[in-house]
Amino acid sequence: MAAIRFTHVIKEYAGGTLAVDDLNLEVAEGEFVVLVGPSGCGKTTALRMVAGLEEITDGEIRIGDRVVNDLAPRDRDIAMVFQNYALYPHKTVYENLVFGLRMRKVPKSEQRRRVEEIARILGLEEMLERRPAQLSGGQRQRVAMGRAIVREPQAFLMDEPLSNLDAKLRVQMRAEIARIQQTLRVTTLYVTHDQVEAMTMGHRVAVMRSGVLQQVDTPQRLYDLPGNLFVASFVGSPAMNLLDVALEREGGGLVCRSGGVEIELPVDIAARRPQLEQYVGRRLALGIRPEALSESSTDPDAPRIRGRALLVEALGAESLAHVEVNAMALDRPELVDVSAAQAHLLPVGDRTATLLARLEHDTGVKPGHVVDLAADVRRLHFFDLDTGSAIPVAGVPVTAAVV
Amino acid sequence: MSSLTPLAPTPVAVRAPARRIRVRRGKLVRRIGLNAVALLVFAVMVFPVYWMVATAFKPGRDILDYKPHWFPAPATLSNFTNAIHRQYFWTDVKNSAIVVVCVVTLSMVVAFLAALALSRFRFYGRGAFIVLILGVLMLPLVALIIPMYITMSRAGQIHGLNWVLGVNKLSGVIVMYMTFVLPFSVWTLQGFMRGVPRELEEAAMVDGTTRFGAFVRILLPLVAPGLVATSIFAFIQAWNEYIIAYVFLQDGSKQTITVWLASFTNLHGTDWGPLMAGATLTALPVVVFFVLIQRRISFGLTAGAVKA
Repeated sequence: MAAIRFTHVIKEYAGGTLAVDDLNLEVAEGEFVVLVGPSGCGKTTALRMVAGLEEITDGEIRIGDRVVNDLAPRDRDIAMVFQNYALYPHKTVYENLVFGLRMRKVPKSEQRRRVEEIARILGLEEMLERRPAQLSGGQRQRVAMGRAIVREPQAFLMDEPLSNLDAKLRVQMRAEIARIQQTLRVTTLYVTHDQVEAMTMGHRVAVMRSGVLQQVDTPQRLYDLPGNLFVASFVGSPAMNLLDVALEREGGGLVCRSGGVEIELPVDIAARRPQLEQYVGRRLALGIRPEALSESSTDPDAPRIRGRALLVEALGAESLAHVEVNAMALDRPELVDVSAAQAHLLPVGDRTATLLARLEHDTGVKPGHVVDLAADVRRLHFFDLDTGSAIPVAGVPVTAAVV
Repeated sequence: MSSLTPLAPTPVAVRAPARRIRVRRGKLVRRIGLNAVALLVFAVMVFPVYWMVATAFKPGRDILDYKPHWFPAPATLSNFTNAIHRQYFWTDVKNSAIVVVCVVTLSMVVAFLAALALSRFRFYGRGAFIVLILGVLMLPLVALIIPMYITMSRAGQIHGLNWVLGVNKLSGVIVMYMTFVLPFSVWTLQGFMRGVPRELEEAAMVDGTTRFGAFVRILLPLVAPGLVATSIFAFIQAWNEYIIAYVFLQDGSKQTITVWLASFTNLHGTDWGPLMAGATLTALPVVVFFVLIQRRISFGLTAGAVKA
């Protein structure tokens, strides 16, 4: 096992497209790091550079203490799981699993022992003589995993290994991969565009966008303390509500105003973000997670947002209400994850925005009803409208320490 | 239709069987028609072959009789003995075999590598190269014979090239055949290769092979059906080719079997019996080669169809 370290890594394609721009990232020994981002953000390119399938334009990649920039894939001692599994169709499952060992001249008896052990762990014993075409999607996935594990490499690289599975199998394999990684403690770099996968599997998650690393942190901290608007809108499902608000001083405290919506910030909340003072009289982005909005609040002082329910989705354990409010939605597509922004219903009115609220499963709210939403002021997020970066909370380190 | 009948009003129910019979009759007529056409096509294609084989077994007078003899009765093998004992038969069979083996082997090796380059690498001029290959395929061969002959005969006078190039040399004919077998082979093979996902080779490289090792161990077995199909084409082209061989090879001892066949026609007319026997013998290797290899094709196609 070995750590993987990217130092100022740049990938520029012929024609000048910058796929990866100055990537600095360390995957510690035994750590499971997920690279996540929308398609075309450079995450797969970054992974392929570690594998040696893509040349590095500039910078340095180390596996363990070796600089691997100019090493052939076979000399890097890594194993990779591909999106389409890439099983050798003309070979049986056994031959697929043993191929890497044969290439590395592992003794015959050792080959058999290792393949059989892996087959047992992955429940493939009955299928060793079959060809990939005779396997189901889940079984193929397992063979692909097995082919990586059997090699006992320095690190695993996984390129969206679950995206070809149906939803149910994906959840199952997600847990299985996480379990295998925990048992073997092999350094793993995992690429996905699915933020749920990223949040559930990784020790740490690295969010990328347009070739630039946005934030690396534990899933929980990424969720609680997104470093910028992009991470805030990308992480979390359903996505965070984002409003364009004006920050004003009223009496002794601060107030966020947007259309008819008024959110008064208690003194202690404002005090936790000293930089907010600089934004008085300016506009900024206000983020509210759907679960920070509730129908009724025990806190009578919690600011209320009045709106009209457009749609209520009953999800069993909870209900998701789309509420149209008289406020200005954030319209900065260059700063947010556009696909997440599209999850919000388009407002009916001209100068209104829709907010998503996670309500109790037995909520009485019906489409068309007027709702008073209570906002949890302790869970508000503030972002600079020019740079998109979060207005930091004092006394909290920007990133978590490496595991 | 029958499941709808209970819901339908009576008049429809009465009319329906009549229509069904008409439909059935229409289907029958269509089927008979299609079968008749198929039989006709079959006859047109197979009859000449049958006539060749039948004539090969007929005694001379039956062949030239004004009343056609549909079956070779009484049958004789004398035409075959005649053909085999004719001058240069075995020599020319050997010549043809040399040409075919060389053309098939060379074109498969070169075409595999060229197709690899076309399907797996991006390089400057790649598009133009593909167009060029197609362009060469579009040129009629006959139009090129005279320029090719002149080029070849001059090349044969250049010291250093004349060990392989030049007229009246089997190696020269092999080079000529490559000019039309190769573009076709490259074109077909690169199509097969595009069907094989690149990730398979990448997986092999990560698993521990070199880049070339990945081609040989992974790509080669997967495009085997393509290689087989292409080699059949190359074999048939090289074995059956006549015009180039006729123009380029003058000595009887250096000719190929198709040119040898043409020698049955001379100033005194055509010696039909031995000619047909010779033609039958000439066709045999192609049939045998195809029968041997066609099982590999069907096996190969199922293996290649699998996309992991």
